[in-house]
Amino acid sequence: MTAGAAAGLHLVRLHLVSRRVPAALAVVAACAVVLRVALRWPWDTYGAFQLPLVFEAASAAVIVITTASSLGEPERATGRWLPFLRLGAALALTAAAVIVLAAAGTGAHLAGGTLDVLRNVAGLTGIGLLFAAVFGGGLAWAGPMGYLVVGVYALYTDWHGPALTTPWIWPGRPPHDLGAALCAGLVFAVGLVAITVHGARDSAGE
Amino acid sequence: MTAAQAPATSRPSPAVRRPGLATGRLLRLELRHNAMPWMVPVAVALFWFITYRKSMALPPLWNVRAVTLQSGAVVDFATPVVGAAAWMGSRDGRRHITDLVAVAARPRWARQLATWAATTCWAMVAYLGCAAILYGVTARQAAWGGPLWWPAAVAAASLPAFSALGFAAGWFFPSRFTTPVVAIAAFFVLALTTQPIRGSQSYWQVSPLVAYPWDIGPEPGVATFYRYVPDLSIAQLMLVAGLTMAALGALGLPAGSGDRWLRRSAAAITAAGLLAAGTAVALAGTGRLDAHGMIAIPALHDAAIDHPIRYHPVCSHGPIPVCLNPAYTVYLPAVAAALEPVLSQVARLPGAPVRISQAAATYRQGPGNMVGIEVAGPLLSGRPPVFHLLLPDQLLGPTLTVSQLAAQVRSSAGPDIVAGVIGGGTGGRVSQAQQAVTAALSAAGGDLPGHASRGTSPGRTGAGTPCGQCVANKVSGRLAPGTPVFDAAVRFAALPAAARHAWLAAHLPALRAGRIALAQLP
Repeated sequence: MTAGAAAGLHLVRLHLVSRRVPAALAVVAACAVVLRVALRWPWDTYGAFQLPLVFEAASAAVIVITTASSLGEPERATGRWLPFLRLGAALALTAAAVIVLAAAGTGAHLAGGTLDVLRNVAGLTGIGLLFAAVFGGGLAWAGPMGYLVVGVYALYTDWHGPALTTPWIWPGRPPHDLGAALCAGLVFAVGLVAITVHGARDSAGE
Repeated sequence: MTAAQAPATSRPSPAVRRPGLATGRLLRLELRHNAMPWMVPVAVALFWFITYRKSMALPPLWNVRAVTLQSGAVVDFATPVVGAAAWMGSRDGRRHITDLVAVAARPRWARQLATWAATTCWAMVAYLGCAAILYGVTARQAAWGGPLWWPAAVAAASLPAFSALGFAAGWFFPSRFTTPVVAIAAFFVLALTTQPIRGSQSYWQVSPLVAYPWDIGPEPGVATFYRYVPDLSIAQLMLVAGLTMAALGALGLPAGSGDRWLRRSAAAITAAGLLAAGTAVALAGTGRLDAHGMIAIPALHDAAIDHPIRYHPVCSHGPIPVCLNPAYTVYLPAVAAALEPVLSQVARLPGAPVRISQAAATYRQGPGNMVGIEVAGPLLSGRPPVFHLLLPDQLLGPTLTVSQLAAQVRSSAGPDIVAGVIGGGTGGRVSQAQQAVTAALSAAGGDLPGHASRGTSPGRTGAGTPCGQCVANKVSGRLAPGTPVFDAAVRFAALPAAARHAWLAAHLPALRAGRIALAQLP
């Protein structure tokens, strides 16, 4: 391994540790385990639809809270690779969350399936990344949490209409709905751009 | 001037201890440096999108709006409040300043309570603003009644509990991940607690999310004819107050929270809180669905509120007036118009009702989640006879518009009114002539599905001429085509209204007694 590659790996490791990414991965894995256990319980139809969304939102909230930096301005001033590190960390964590949540549903009745997990985790994470850019990484969890309530309400209106059919509330749409997937993807892309270019609005000390 | 020449200063007077002022200053500091103001827009937006819009789509009845407020506000505020409180509770630990602030003049428990109080104040201000707007708009729209405060109080009392639980979790587990985990756990537990509810004797209905018998939903007839039964609300208040005390008391238990006296007080508060919460759960398990559609808990129930509410009904002006509870004033024109075709068929006939009067529903818990909703007593009773009308229940289905509800009244109450006049209601022995006349009048009255009444009776052309095929189509919805009864019904329905009415006026007693044969019908 060349000295440059080793330095790069060291930089990545330091960045991930400073963002508590290992702890975030552990929490996401715990979410998947709890989801797996919960899927074994008897749920009514509404509860079964609601269950994956709760854990998708939890994973998204954990992902976006890693955007908070404990280093603040010094890191911004000296870190040339910082935008790429932020982008990579967000993408990697999102992918990991999708994979472990989908794996948790393997062999069980996961409402919506893997496509639903991919769409919802991406969209919820995008909302959280936007919140991080605007309000700070520490409070970014409020985005996915607030949207979770909206999403659960959208699922509720499927039973007790009038149903919310706008694709911007994608949890209420079927997994194969193209409009909902596009909306979630767009929000994720905008969130990624915001967090890559701007970073989380944070001050040192957290 | 040298030091020796300087005037001697008097000894400074000892500082006056004013603990109230210091507490106020601490609270003001915490109010200014709190995360909850950032969460207020989120909570208010959720309240508007979910609770307010849903409430405005419901009829302007105080009971419906109030129970919707309770359930909705609890869901809307739970996550932001728990999250913000956890964030504030973990503040010292996240910033690694726990030891630094340990030397402050105030005991740690007092400082924690100030932070919790500030978080709760922000949440409470936001909630009260939302509730005031919802109740204010309802006050302008509602025709009768007044605000129900118990559901609003349960939602309000839930906020300190959410805040205390979140704060305690943040304090004991100070990590940046505590906040989302605790917030999602709060939402999960709230949603989870409604899943195991089976029937009215469920411990789980103590959840502050449950504002009404869970199987019924926000039923308009509940707490309209009888006073709101606050038994479940009292149990829920006990629960959330107990949880608040337990969580706040737990903060004062660890070493370093204060002196021994303070920690003993915290232990006593924790124990009292747990006792109150446990008692509330036990009480909720003894609840039962009462006849008026509310949960009555024997140990908390005040029998004095079981009397019906006195009211002056609002009535339409027609040959047979339709009278509704004044809370339902908005429905009166549509319901009266929907029933008018039927009522015009039977008006002034012997035995016809002199008034259609809205009746209170009787609720009965069935097996599992089944709930029977029916009118108490016979539909037609009294001298002179009065028909007791039960407006359709909306249960948990899509909210009915005024016109949809009126259409349901026409299809459900219309045949009952006719059957009540002609005789031989549901389950009774009915002659073939009675069947034919009932079907003919019901068809002429437009009770059949798909008929849109626009002021003319169905089965008639615009000029009022009977339309044979139209009448047959209408009657075929009630009787099997090709049978003698069907033919007689079509024949009778095709008569001009005046001829039908005259024949009925002359022969109704005999028809009711079963002395008219099918062939004798005109």
